[in-house]
Amino acid sequence: MEKKTESYDVVIIGGGAASLTAGIYCGRAKLKTLIIEKTLVGGLATYTNEIENYPGFPDGTTGLGLMDLFHKQAKKFGVDFKLTDVKKVSLEGDLKRVETFRNVYEAKAVIIGSGGKPRLTGARNEEKFLYDKGISFCATCDAAANTGKTVMVIGSGDAAIEEGMFLTKFADKVIVSVMHDNGNMDCNEIAKAQALSNPKMEFLWNTVVESFEGEERLDTVVLKNVKTGENLPVKVDSCYLFIGYLPNTELFQGILTMNRGGYLITNERMETNLPGVYGIGDVRDKFLKQVATAVGDGAVAGYGAEKYLSECEIFEKQVMNEGNPSLVYIYNGIDAHSRELLPAFKELEETRKDMRVSCIDIYKSDGIAKRLGVHNSPCALWIKGSKIQGKIEGEITQDQIENMCRES
Amino acid sequence: MAEFTLDCLGEACPVPLMKTEKKMGELSIGDVLVVSIDHSCAMKNVPEWARKQGHNVEIEEVDDGEWEIVIEKTK
Repeated sequence: MEKKTESYDVVIIGGGAASLTAGIYCGRAKLKTLIIEKTLVGGLATYTNEIENYPGFPDGTTGLGLMDLFHKQAKKFGVDFKLTDVKKVSLEGDLKRVETFRNVYEAKAVIIGSGGKPRLTGARNEEKFLYDKGISFCATCDAAANTGKTVMVIGSGDAAIEEGMFLTKFADKVIVSVMHDNGNMDCNEIAKAQALSNPKMEFLWNTVVESFEGEERLDTVVLKNVKTGENLPVKVDSCYLFIGYLPNTELFQGILTMNRGGYLITNERMETNLPGVYGIGDVRDKFLKQVATAVGDGAVAGYGAEKYLSECEIFEKQVMNEGNPSLVYIYNGIDAHSRELLPAFKELEETRKDMRVSCIDIYKSDGIAKRLGVHNSPCALWIKGSKIQGKIEGEITQDQIENMCRES
Repeated sequence: MAEFTLDCLGEACPVPLMKTEKKMGELSIGDVLVVSIDHSCAMKNVPEWARKQGHNVEIEEVDDGEWEIVIEKTK
């Protein structure tokens, strides 16, 4: 089947809190924007039942409810949504391509908010029982199916303990496997105290998973005591893994700079190593992964993408003047000295009809200066055939400018 | 590589999923099935089933509360 090609200004990969915010900013800036989400819009936040610390909701809110509002707002600004997997990307160059199984989307800017996926234990037979065969990652999703059963939770972070406590409403017994010493848990103190006093919860300290056993379905988890090396088989009806997340970055391997864990490295403008490509939300190497910080990332990238796109256009049409002669003055609007030369350029614009004169203020954004390889202002550039032919920096006189444009 | 359609509008779970499973069995590799649904529960379980089978899946919201699930048979 021939893939259909569609053009957008911005393609956003992922549909969580960060991506939806970026979508809202891009949509509002009247950019033609597409969000591609592989499962359901809302991302990881939709797995959390209670969100108590997202500002603006003094009575708390649910992850699903909050993300639904984000989704509506993005739609209001005309953002398109595609619910499918991204299969391939090509991000180098000015025109970027994002492929799904039926389409190729071309865009000048790509924002990556692909988030993470649950980490697996790596224990023996794990793949055999994933999802519907006994090992799952979302207690809220299938808790009711655990009524009267014995379930195991692996991990001791906030997610593990909170979901574990939620499971006690249905299951008869919730066994928690914790890697640490007796009483040591990674979750917050309140959750810890509640969990330890919950009569339905039982803790197995110093244990990790050795293997998963069963016929069709999981029926036993074999734990290993990390201190004694002893194996401990535990009969369970299902097992939930809450041992952290891994970033969804396989598609960008070797293209974008990542840290050792595979998280994308960005600067504070959410820019990756490639121009026009941004990384936001949980997929990015950052200090705190929350809806509140994802929103900040999305806003920065949305704004950045808008600036980048308008600079692309100014750069091609005005600065490079589509190959024709062009005189460019890079200055800083807050520097009085560099402003003094502006009338001279205005005059050249009037008298020299054979070239285009542009004065670029770097005060708000230095994107165009960076593209020209200019790091100091003021600076005057003479461009012809889309190449820089002459450059004057520092003390610039009117004579020097006129000479530069005459010579070439 | 033909394209087939399956109209499940007005049908509640699990009917769309059962119909999809049956229809997919009749398709050849590379064929595409477009399932029309308006029951939000089917919008979850049909793609979930198809993904687990390893097929390519895309969901398109054609109208408010109305979706097309596009499934490409891969094996």
